[in-house]
Amino acid sequence: MTRRRGWRRALARLGLAALVWLVVVVMALPLYWVATGALKTNREIYTFPPVWIPRDPQWSNFVAAWEAVPFGRFFLNSIVTTLGAVTIELVFALFSAYALVFVKARGKGIVFAVTVAALLVPQTVTLLPNYLTIARLGWIDTYQGLIVPVAAVAFGVFLFRQHFLTLPRDLLDAARLDGCGHLGLLRHVVVPLSRPVIVTFLVIYLVSHWNDFLWPLVATNRLEWRTVPIGVAYLYQVEGVQNWGPILAGTVMALAPMLLVYVVAQRWIVKGIGGGALKG
Amino acid sequence: MTRSLTRRQLVLALGGLSGMALLAACGQSEPTPTAAPATGSSAASPTAAPVSGSTASPTAPAVVQNPGSKVKVVYWGSFSGNLGEAEQGMVKRFNESQNDVEVEYQYQGNYEETAQKLTQALAAGTTPDIVLLSDVWWFKFYLNDVLLPLNELFATHQIDTSDYVDPLIEEGTRKGVIYWVPFARSTPLFYYNKQVWQEAGLPDRGPATWDEFVEWTAKLVKKESGNTTRYSFAHPGAASYIAWLFQPVVWQWGGRYSDPDFTIRIHEEPAVEAGRFYLSSVRDGWAVSSKDIVADFVNGAAAAMMASTASLRGITNSASFPVGTAFLPEGPNGFGCCTGGAGLAILKNKPKEVQEAAFRYLAFATSPENTMWWSQNTGYMPVRKSAIASQEMQQFYQQNPNFKTAVDQLPKTRQQDAARVWIPNGDQIIGKGLERVTVQQEDPAAVFAEVARTLEREARPVVEQLERREG
Repeated sequence: MTRRRGWRRALARLGLAALVWLVVVVMALPLYWVATGALKTNREIYTFPPVWIPRDPQWSNFVAAWEAVPFGRFFLNSIVTTLGAVTIELVFALFSAYALVFVKARGKGIVFAVTVAALLVPQTVTLLPNYLTIARLGWIDTYQGLIVPVAAVAFGVFLFRQHFLTLPRDLLDAARLDGCGHLGLLRHVVVPLSRPVIVTFLVIYLVSHWNDFLWPLVATNRLEWRTVPIGVAYLYQVEGVQNWGPILAGTVMALAPMLLVYVVAQRWIVKGIGGGALKG
Repeated sequence: MTRSLTRRQLVLALGGLSGMALLAACGQSEPTPTAAPATGSSAASPTAAPVSGSTASPTAPAVVQNPGSKVKVVYWGSFSGNLGEAEQGMVKRFNESQNDVEVEYQYQGNYEETAQKLTQALAAGTTPDIVLLSDVWWFKFYLNDVLLPLNELFATHQIDTSDYVDPLIEEGTRKGVIYWVPFARSTPLFYYNKQVWQEAGLPDRGPATWDEFVEWTAKLVKKESGNTTRYSFAHPGAASYIAWLFQPVVWQWGGRYSDPDFTIRIHEEPAVEAGRFYLSSVRDGWAVSSKDIVADFVNGAAAAMMASTASLRGITNSASFPVGTAFLPEGPNGFGCCTGGAGLAILKNKPKEVQEAAFRYLAFATSPENTMWWSQNTGYMPVRKSAIASQEMQQFYQQNPNFKTAVDQLPKTRQQDAARVWIPNGDQIIGKGLERVTVQQEDPAAVFAEVARTLEREARPVVEQLERREG
């Protein structure tokens, strides 16, 4: 009996492993395709049946992409813009959410309702007003023009508020009794308990700012103020044959930092969940 | 030197560490004139502050000019990839050719994105001086009276406008006034796979008529165990401008999308009949509706297609078989072909000297000599008669007969229908309708009737605006 049960369990585990691997392969395939495509000649890319392993890796595709546009400068712009926007968002969202949950004040509900309502306004609606604003301020082709209009915080406020509401009140009261002020509470109690949520927020917004195409295209005119996604678009042909090698090489370069963020953040999320469970 | 530096930066970036990429970025932005030869503007602006954003200069193009200094002209372009490199190359050639004017090239996305940005820039007063506008966009800006009439400037510079190829310059002319000058102009071509043609035992030429092509398809379509592995023809989607490529077919059937006065005719019998032909091409299994016709053609999944001359250079380089080009096939009503592509326009309400400087670039880029350079590097047609007739170009055509097809076809082209080019979004409205025919196999009569209603609605404000503009 026990032997049969063990056998069955092993089979189930095997089945699960097979399923996991299947999902992994399905998810990783497009990434593999992009990464290897970056090393293929155009002819290999256009060949059917597909070539899975580039016969003669074309590292020159990366050189071609890098030389076609100043990618170095674009990376700098993307990094400054992304970090700038995310930092502003995080600080504002944390403070606003803290105030909405832990500070006694009238009209908090209305403030929160307005914040949530702001989530309903699509980007296309705010595009022109934002453009007019930065144009009048003379902010076209500047970092502040790239950052300030997109550093909106509504989702962050919502996310953090919902999380803060679940924090154990006893812990906060204890900290308060120990003489902790608002800033201290935020720093020593609330933020450490919210690490998984903060990391989740960071991952979502780092990726979304890094990938944003429309606003950077609108807010900048000169080559030296462009960001990485526009750099990839520079490589894309309007009419005719796409030169896929350099396009995919550019895509890989654009992708790399976000993959890194994801790998690092993943550890943090797991750690955060574990830590939170112990403290809770 | 440049190369080794670039490779090192590349390795750093691939390491994926943003900090490292940042270092690489700084290295790149140091004023090394050799670092970015293809990207005129970054090397050209010594004021570019690499790290601190606060020192950026005001956005509006400089108005006040010191006597003796260069006039700066901002140029918005729409080309990327190889075409973009050629476009930037043209700007570079101009800047190096003289010392009075400096053109700054600014890429603004594709045709549609450039037009949208120009709309916004007009609202904010941050327009460029000269802009590349596609055949479906320039008219909108003409209607809003923001484009500079160019006749006077042509006269002062003693440029004979009759040297521009007639059907091309006429498209940018309203009531005898030129607003939009042909630059990157194209026609559709019939592309075919010579290798497949040979295997099928067909003569080395395009089909004279669509009937002949339909006869040939039996030899061109290849099936393996019930699945078609090669179609004889590929249709593009709306985003790849099927409405542009279907337009000549409608003419070949004796119909049209509309009259010049915006009377919509796409739902009338000849046009619908052409639609039925497209429907049958898919239903009978010899044509496929493709996501990327050029890719399908180049890798042999489709034996033939209609596509822009602008694709010629790229297709020739990517195909592993000899590529043939031919005139479009004739329909029941004979031959029909349209032009397409983009032209240059100068913005109104700029200081005289800036307009003057912008015109100098426009004249340079469309001069006989430079239109030849542009044509040979891209596949677009030379826009000057004298350039086409020149010995250099004739020699080039002898060596590259495929490039000649479009030029030979050009005199037989006619002006595009107002419904496609002058109704905002008209191209996409028609294109989406055509997708319903070629993808969902819906009845063209019903679909075109619906499309006609939408076009009529969208045309109304244009007609009103046109009356106000032209009286």
